[in-house]
Amino acid sequence: MNGGITVAGLTKRYGPVTAVDGLTFTVEPGQVTGFLGPNGAGKTTTLRMLLGLVAPTAGSALIGGQRYAELAEPRQVVGAVLEATGFHPDRTGRDHLRVIACSAGIQRSRVDQVLDRVGLTDAADRRVRGYSLGMRQRLGLAAALLGDPWVLILDEPGNGLDPAGLAELRDLLRGLAGDGRTVLMSSHVLSEVAQTVDHVIIIAGGTLRHVGKLSELTGTQGETLEAAFLRLTSDLTRPAGAAAPAGN
Amino acid sequence: MRVLIRTEVLKLRTIRGPWLVLAVGPLLVIAGISGLVVSGANLHDPQTQAKALAHVGLTAIFALAFGILAVAGEYRHKTITDTYLSTPERGRVIGAKLVVYAAFCIPAALVSTSVGLGVAAAWWSAKGVPFAWGDTAMWTTIGGGVAWNAAFAAIGVGLGALIRNLTAAIAAALAWIALVEGIVAQLIGNLARWLPFYAGQSLGAGGKAMLPEPLLPRWGAALVLAAYAAAFAASAITTSIRRDVS
Repeated sequence: MNGGITVAGLTKRYGPVTAVDGLTFTVEPGQVTGFLGPNGAGKTTTLRMLLGLVAPTAGSALIGGQRYAELAEPRQVVGAVLEATGFHPDRTGRDHLRVIACSAGIQRSRVDQVLDRVGLTDAADRRVRGYSLGMRQRLGLAAALLGDPWVLILDEPGNGLDPAGLAELRDLLRGLAGDGRTVLMSSHVLSEVAQTVDHVIIIAGGTLRHVGKLSELTGTQGETLEAAFLRLTSDLTRPAGAAAPAGN
Repeated sequence: MRVLIRTEVLKLRTIRGPWLVLAVGPLLVIAGISGLVVSGANLHDPQTQAKALAHVGLTAIFALAFGILAVAGEYRHKTITDTYLSTPERGRVIGAKLVVYAAFCIPAALVSTSVGLGVAAAWWSAKGVPFAWGDTAMWTTIGGGVAWNAAFAAIGVGLGALIRNLTAAIAAALAWIALVEGIVAQLIGNLARWLPFYAGQSLGAGGKAMLPEPLLPRWGAALVLAAYAAAFAASAITTSIRRDVS
């Protein structure tokens, strides 16, 4: 068992709609992996299945070889940033983190540490109601870091961040991967991804389109990430599931 | 479970909404008792004291709303995601909420009781009628009213977990109490006393205060409400385990 993520045959159907269709990939520790796809590709559903929030119709999504629900101390294993709106508006940023620390058996001193790490110390005692989108994103990131997890799963973590915030996020994620942690982040801001990730997983229409090193994708044919992304996710030029993903 | 209970208490301590809901209870008691006196109730009738303090039980409506906030409030603000990320065993989360929310309604009902006793004693004294502090019927009415509050809070937790949409859950609860239960009662006649709000009134409103029908005895009403709370809790737990959180 390594500290990675293993997804095998992962499928989610909502009635007649197949949101995620037989996804298989692994995410290795020690690098930042970008999880890319157009809107509605199934990124969020996949991440929510990894986190035990959505039950797969078929297949498995494992973290370090275990389902999320089987983890004894999930917050100390996995940190997740899912959406910028998951805060009670009346609660202060610090209290939001205290609640999570309490629920996960994490020492209260960690709250101050993560607030400092995301640069939210000054706003910590204000109610989240008055936070900007970028501040909420930072608070979500602080919550993810609270348990000092070795796997980070981030759904559009760059949303609402200003350029300085994006640069900080990039340094933070690269630093976490540098520690040997597993970092999986979804995004559709390709310019941000291109500067942050080592590996990419590209999905569209719920199916896998590409897994591999970013350098392989953009290096070999001299393509930009954007051009490669559009080629891989456009069903007009390439029928769904027609190509075996490279580097898998 | 201790960690989960501590977490639920901390969640409650760090927001205001649920407290505002509970704070309406004493106001309702003040208004209700004053209304009873002003509308010319006979203060010399020994039953009037129990009737006045039966308003403690009626604050169970706010206990119900308070309970609904436990889960539906978390869906409203999407904090449920963080809750289940910390504790993937969703049944235990619901269980902790049942305990905490029902337990919090007991001191809240006791506050309503103190306020109610103070207001009633003041009115009685203002009208020159001695207030019988040892009146057994009054104290059993109060005890039943407090229990009614706890039971309705637990039912609220279950209802909120089943419906999940906060507005819809509150609307459904109020519609049931204000309208639907009365209509159902007319259709089923004598069986109406088994319905939750009727049972609550049997438990907390002195058994004969407001309803013409033969009501359940107090202990029977307590069992019926406990059964409702258990049924709501069980279905809340099973559906919460099964449902996707997205």
